[in-house]
Amino acid sequence: MWWLKARLLLIYGALRRRKIDDEIDEELRFHLEMRIRENLEAGMSAAQAHQEAVQRFGSVLRIQEAGREIRRGTTMDGWLQDLRYGLRALFKQPKFTAIVALTMGLGIGANTAIFSVVNAVLLKPLPYEHPAELALIWSSFQKMGASRAPASGVQLREIRDRSRLFQDVAGIWVGNGTFTGETEPEQVKVAQVTPNFFAVLGAKPALGRAFLADREGPGINEIILSNSLWQRRFGADPNIIGQAVRFSGGSFTVVGVMPPDFLLSFPADANVPMDIPAWMPFQDDIYSEPRDLYYIRMLGRLKSGATVEQAQDEAQAIARQLRDGFTEYNVENLQLEVVGLHRDVVRDIKPALVALFIGAGLVLLVSCFNVANLLLTRASTRRKEIALRVAIGATRWRICRQLLCESLLLCCLAGAFALAIALLGLKLLLAIRPESLARLKTINPDWTILIFVSAISLTCGLVAGLAPMLETGKVNLVETLKESGRSSSGQTRKRFRTLLIGSEIAFGFVLLVGAGLMIRTLIQLHRVSPGFNASHVLTFEIIPPGGRSLQRNLFVTQLEEKLSALPGVESVGAISHLPLDDYPNWYSPYAPEGISDAQRASFLADHRAITPGYFQAIGGQLIAGRTFNALDTSSSRQVIIIDKLLAEQTWPDENPIGKRLNIEQFTDQGFANGWAEVVGVVEHIKAHSLLKPLRGEIYIPYAQSAREHLSFAVRTSADPLALVGPIRSEISKLDRNRAIAKVRPMEEYVRKAMAPTNFTVVLASLFAALALLLATVGIYSVISYSVSQRTQEIGVRMALGATGRDILRLIMKEGLALIAFGLIFGFVASFTISGYLQNLLFDVPPVDPLTYLVMAVAISLAASLACLKPALEAASCNPLEAIRQR
Amino acid sequence: MAKVDLLQGTMHMLVLKALSREPMHGHAIARWIQQTTDDALQVEEGTLYPALYRMERRGWVASKWGQSENNRRARYYRLTSAGRKQLQAESQAWTGLSVAIAKIMQTA
Repeated sequence: MWWLKARLLLIYGALRRRKIDDEIDEELRFHLEMRIRENLEAGMSAAQAHQEAVQRFGSVLRIQEAGREIRRGTTMDGWLQDLRYGLRALFKQPKFTAIVALTMGLGIGANTAIFSVVNAVLLKPLPYEHPAELALIWSSFQKMGASRAPASGVQLREIRDRSRLFQDVAGIWVGNGTFTGETEPEQVKVAQVTPNFFAVLGAKPALGRAFLADREGPGINEIILSNSLWQRRFGADPNIIGQAVRFSGGSFTVVGVMPPDFLLSFPADANVPMDIPAWMPFQDDIYSEPRDLYYIRMLGRLKSGATVEQAQDEAQAIARQLRDGFTEYNVENLQLEVVGLHRDVVRDIKPALVALFIGAGLVLLVSCFNVANLLLTRASTRRKEIALRVAIGATRWRICRQLLCESLLLCCLAGAFALAIALLGLKLLLAIRPESLARLKTINPDWTILIFVSAISLTCGLVAGLAPMLETGKVNLVETLKESGRSSSGQTRKRFRTLLIGSEIAFGFVLLVGAGLMIRTLIQLHRVSPGFNASHVLTFEIIPPGGRSLQRNLFVTQLEEKLSALPGVESVGAISHLPLDDYPNWYSPYAPEGISDAQRASFLADHRAITPGYFQAIGGQLIAGRTFNALDTSSSRQVIIIDKLLAEQTWPDENPIGKRLNIEQFTDQGFANGWAEVVGVVEHIKAHSLLKPLRGEIYIPYAQSAREHLSFAVRTSADPLALVGPIRSEISKLDRNRAIAKVRPMEEYVRKAMAPTNFTVVLASLFAALALLLATVGIYSVISYSVSQRTQEIGVRMALGATGRDILRLIMKEGLALIAFGLIFGFVASFTISGYLQNLLFDVPPVDPLTYLVMAVAISLAASLACLKPALEAASCNPLEAIRQR
Repeated sequence: MAKVDLLQGTMHMLVLKALSREPMHGHAIARWIQQTTDDALQVEEGTLYPALYRMERRGWVASKWGQSENNRRARYYRLTSAGRKQLQAESQAWTGLSVAIAKIMQTA
């Protein structure tokens, strides 16, 4: 054996490339050779000489180990060797390494991605000067059940004058306008604002100036352009300031261009879009308008030090003064509500983001538990290796260092995966983000959270990785070396692992239930009709020409005729406020005949002006009576169609046809109230959100209320987008200066309305699938480990007459107990947090028995299957071999 | 000839003594001790090399590669000044100890 030993020494030496190792090897080899030579000189045979020398030499390995340790003590590159050793250990078990790195990577990555969004949306302040001082002031009409309503000009002025806590209050309203002139006409969103709007927001134009405080009201034809419009329509002309542009039939002087990154942040129900191409001062004298013409959105800036709560108290006091001072506000019981701008902006998306963040947190927990579990499994197999190394002289510190190194390497690998997954995840999030996340043009991974989450996983990995080391301190070496897995520490470990896996199943269940509820919500959304049929409908916006109703109506009628004649067109209709569009809503009080004055102004409905073809084009359903026709003209009897919701609210159990309502109409003199007779009842059309019907609807013939803003709906038998060209040419034939905007299929509005739910569903499902997978892997590893530890016991049982079935039952019992344990906790946890999901759900109770049942079955099934494999293996083992196994 | 196991600690002293004459490689140190003691003391490699490394780390000896008598590359160790002081201290302690032990052993 001597030559083998010597050869081994050589090979061993050759394998170590490192200098110190090589030096030690060379030194020892030299010594060995010299010894052999001496022996030869003393007359021994070659074989004898070798043998004697090697024997005398003793354990070469031991000298090397000791030498390496002593010599390396002064240098840092001991770590390098540990690193290499660690790498080798990891590559030796590629499956284990990959599972751990992937598991942790997924957990960390998902968390980083979600938190980056949460941070960008919920935590990061809005990009304005002192953003915490900005607050929205909403009107609230309790009697009509209308909160978050806009304000009138008088209201704005009164609040501005009376408030001591607000530095200033500005107003904004966003409508449509058309640029005309030499180039193609273009219809855009235009914001009308009080001159102080930009100052309140703390924004300045990049070119030119903002509006001036004393230049307000009719005749101030100043316009400010957005950067993108300036680039697109005016070729980024640096001399644009002071030039006149044709806009909506008038001439406006460009006074400013906003900076490229300037975006507004208003909540969706304020109907103030993010990117507004054109700005102008209010074109009407808003302070002399009717006091109850509510359409202005109020934005205030608090004095520094004032809180939103204080401002709320003050606003209530002001509202009381307004109710005392003005009959309109008294009748309508005006209240004011102050909300921090940021809080209000994230109001819609916050529940979903928080739920997803909790989901990602659970995934991280599950993956941490899984990694801990895997590492513990491996630790128990490594205890012998470690005991052996201690026995041949490695110090405890040395082994600790090595385990540490291995864990660190694993964590680095996981970190790399995590980064990749975070980047990918962010891309996915951006791709499927709903409208409310639109202000995030890009989201960068949040480094703080990546580090924070990595630290959590690192700790988890380190503790689990060092576990075998901590144990070798307590455990007798000899005992450990021949241990058969029944030591007391083994029992503790097993209990700990049972807890880990039980929790994994519990969390997995919570995630599955959450995802299940979201999926059901999505299914319900698809199943429940929004009240119209969006397929095969093309829509576009247009501002009909003419200052008077008659002109506009004539144009609309002509256009409808032309469009109806286009090939493939089935029906054409138009409406002032298209369902699911973001145009500022038209909702006003209405009153049925014969109610007392006290009850007046307590009913509120969405008002819409429609052409006779609208219901057919959009696919609405007539329930009773008739739709409008060409005989409903401005001079004929005033008629309306109401929706089922309003009919049931106003006249429960009565036939509404022929009854009369006092409603708001739009005349050439502005808004006016008048009586109209109900001629038809239609199914409610969801106009604001697919999740819930908001309020009743009143439809007025366009001929009797010709609003200036109109959306067309064209139903075709073919691809709606194929109609875009023909429609444009028909319009330019009718009026060269007419622009159309927002040309898109109706389905796009529906898709947009579903986006938040889609977003939540996709992420929740991903998390749930991940958790299910991890929990399954976890339970599989724990059961197969348990089987490997009990091999001997199983062998004995079988030798004593237990059948394969008995063994199968034995093992499965262990697995099923674990699953049951996890499910019980999962149920409790899901129950506890179910209330939180309420806001995200539609038509599904938060504690939906079906979802709970299906998910309980799903997770049990997956986990049972995971147990079945090791159980079957145990059941089919050869008892003799099993007993012999150590 | 009886082989005497070296006391722990004495090994350092013997190696230092060997190196105080001239720089040597590990094998030469072992051979010198063996020859000088007429084979009474045999140095085990398993003790010698760790001792050398330890002394190098403590700064008593320094090492560098050199040419051996048969033209092989060998690692030569030499005494440093700290090693010289250490040798002095250890040989004094040793003399004291052996005198004391001799007194006890000479009693009847």
